[in-house]
Amino acid sequence: MKINIRRSGRRTALAVALGSALALTATACGDDGSGTGGSKGSEGSGKGEITFWDSNGGVRTDIWKQVIADFEKKYPDIKVNYVGIPAASAQSKYDTAIQGGGLPDVGGVGTAMLAEIAAQGALEPLDGRLEKSSLNGRLSPGLLSVSKAAGGGDTLYQVPTSANNGTLWYRTDLFKKAGLDAPTTWSKFYEAADKLTDKGKNAFGFTIRGGEGSIAPALDAVYGQTGITSFWNGDRTTVNDPKNVAALEKYVALYKKDTPSADVNNDFTKMVAQWDSGTIGMLSHNLGSYQDHLKALGKDKFRGIPNPTMDDGTRVQVSNPVDGLGLFKASKNKAAAWKFIEFALSHEENSKFNESAGQVPANTDAAKDAWIQQSEPTKLAAEALNGANTKIVQLPYYLPDWNTISKADNEPNFQKVLLGKMTAKEFLDTLAEQLNKAQAEWKQQKG
Amino acid sequence: MITEIAPAPERVVSRQTRPRTRRRAWDEVPRWQIYLPLSIYLLFTLIPFYWILLFALRPAGSTSLVPWPVTFDHFEKVWTERSFGTYFQNSVLVGLATLVLTTVVALAGGYALARFDFRIKRAFMLALLCSQFVPGALLLVPLFQIFAKLSMINSLGSVVIAETVFQLPLSMILISGFIRNVPPSLEEAAWVDGCTRFAAFRIVVLPLLRPGLVAVGSFAFVHAWNHFLFALMFLSDQSKQTIPVGLNTLMSADSVDLGALAAGGIVAAVPVVIVFAFIQKWLITGFSAGAVKG
Repeated sequence: MKINIRRSGRRTALAVALGSALALTATACGDDGSGTGGSKGSEGSGKGEITFWDSNGGVRTDIWKQVIADFEKKYPDIKVNYVGIPAASAQSKYDTAIQGGGLPDVGGVGTAMLAEIAAQGALEPLDGRLEKSSLNGRLSPGLLSVSKAAGGGDTLYQVPTSANNGTLWYRTDLFKKAGLDAPTTWSKFYEAADKLTDKGKNAFGFTIRGGEGSIAPALDAVYGQTGITSFWNGDRTTVNDPKNVAALEKYVALYKKDTPSADVNNDFTKMVAQWDSGTIGMLSHNLGSYQDHLKALGKDKFRGIPNPTMDDGTRVQVSNPVDGLGLFKASKNKAAAWKFIEFALSHEENSKFNESAGQVPANTDAAKDAWIQQSEPTKLAAEALNGANTKIVQLPYYLPDWNTISKADNEPNFQKVLLGKMTAKEFLDTLAEQLNKAQAEWKQQKG
Repeated sequence: MITEIAPAPERVVSRQTRPRTRRRAWDEVPRWQIYLPLSIYLLFTLIPFYWILLFALRPAGSTSLVPWPVTFDHFEKVWTERSFGTYFQNSVLVGLATLVLTTVVALAGGYALARFDFRIKRAFMLALLCSQFVPGALLLVPLFQIFAKLSMINSLGSVVIAETVFQLPLSMILISGFIRNVPPSLEEAAWVDGCTRFAAFRIVVLPLLRPGLVAVGSFAFVHAWNHFLFALMFLSDQSKQTIPVGLNTLMSADSVDLGALAAGGIVAAVPVVIVFAFIQKWLITGFSAGAVKG
């Protein structure tokens, strides 16, 4: 039983197909642009509803909801719709909304994604608003300059809320048992990594990040050891300086010698999980995992100190991503959205938020609060960030290609270095070549 | 008069009638050669599941290799504090709606492909196959714009439609294979008895498609249940989000609660395991009947 519908249905089928195609085309092209990266938005009445996207949703949901409740109490005529976005997908959610519409009024925008979003013209410049705001002069100048630099140079697109910092977490119980000093210098770090390793007992001195997110910690270790204080020497990066090559060789030599062999695939989740549940002496991560260590180990078994210094006490570290809030150009209620940003950055709210997140507040008054003195890792991180002996190597977050270069392009290469399939020099030369090219392109675009 | 159609006699192969050579070969294999590899395979499969159970059931901070003392704190946390109760409800709605829509539309389309002949049929089949190679991420922006125009952003309906559209090509191909296996003469006999085409399809063909429908329906449900991207992009309101998005929010940029993540993983996996446990028999029959012969 086959029925031939060639003649009878051909015209109908053709009409339906054409109609569908035209309808879809019209629908796709007919967008008025509201809420997309290109639309200009408006100041609005300063009342009504605004939408806030939390780019690190989930773990921070509760504290943001508290901040929002406080805000709505102070401004009863403004309602904030909270949207928590999983951190790993925040960039793609923003990108889709920039192209397709539906951007929020305010969003969490870290320095790692700032350049890409700013380059698409989606963010409102904030210098003018900050100048007239009660926040003027109350935010860390250092963090503001990082925010400006990450946005591409002279314009402020992100108001910083918190600073993170590279932290060397170490097990005080294991160090005490082995009679080791705190790993405050790189020499002590390497000595401890060797002494704490006993492969027969599944004990290791260090866990290295070999998987996703491996490049920034590796660069932190490299610049920290060599003391080179600038990422650029003119238009050329210093990343493949011979001193850096030697430092990287020494660092990756820890792999398998003093670290588990599975570390080649370590992202932060695996790295933190195995440090919290095993017998590994040291872990290099940031302040963000403090609560995880506290829950797993209790407060007496570990400490978190800033990354080691050189033997003469000089501390060189790479810049860590700075969390912050951005105001989207497409917002139709920018006045209310800015009120929310101001409120979230106020002394009380910024302090409350960072105490929960375990990070260093951007509000300078909040940074003096008592809880920081009681939270040793945060206190030490704040001291290191502001210390006279600290030199910060600014990573080029402003390059729109930075995320691609530091992730997709070079993380597999770093794994090759760990596995001995690529030399440290080849790796850094490749990285340098890509960075130099991206920098040249960025300068050219900037004019 | 309705002609009764006797079910096809089942082919019963008893131990006695099994070919002698096959039986001997089976009997001669030492049991350990069968059970040892199977046990090793099972161990590799089950260890990750045990690990998830371990993290979900032992207290935070414990490094014990057995979940003792057992705690349900992580489940309570994800279900109440992390809103997994709401996510679960939304995922069930999206999964069931996708299942029903996909099955109904695939039945209609599959029937047409199996029983009708038209000029662009081959090209259409090829287009269906090719559509499987288009990643969902590529269509995110146009889909977003279409749903925005239809005021369907932040509505579970947008996710159901997107999931159904992506499930349909494979489902239609599978269903058309199942329908081809039903002899057209059965339908013709029903027509002779006075049935309309639809009545003949409903009374004669549909009951014979049960294994195929189970296969297609379960695939649609499981795919919609697990799919993350559309729910993330089209739904913003937290009360509308689904389990895969909820699971992802348990991992922040630099911190992860492994106990809660494991408990969330179990909440996400249990319905799928239950579905497969119930439909296993029909699923295997379905695939051997339709997909292979298709």
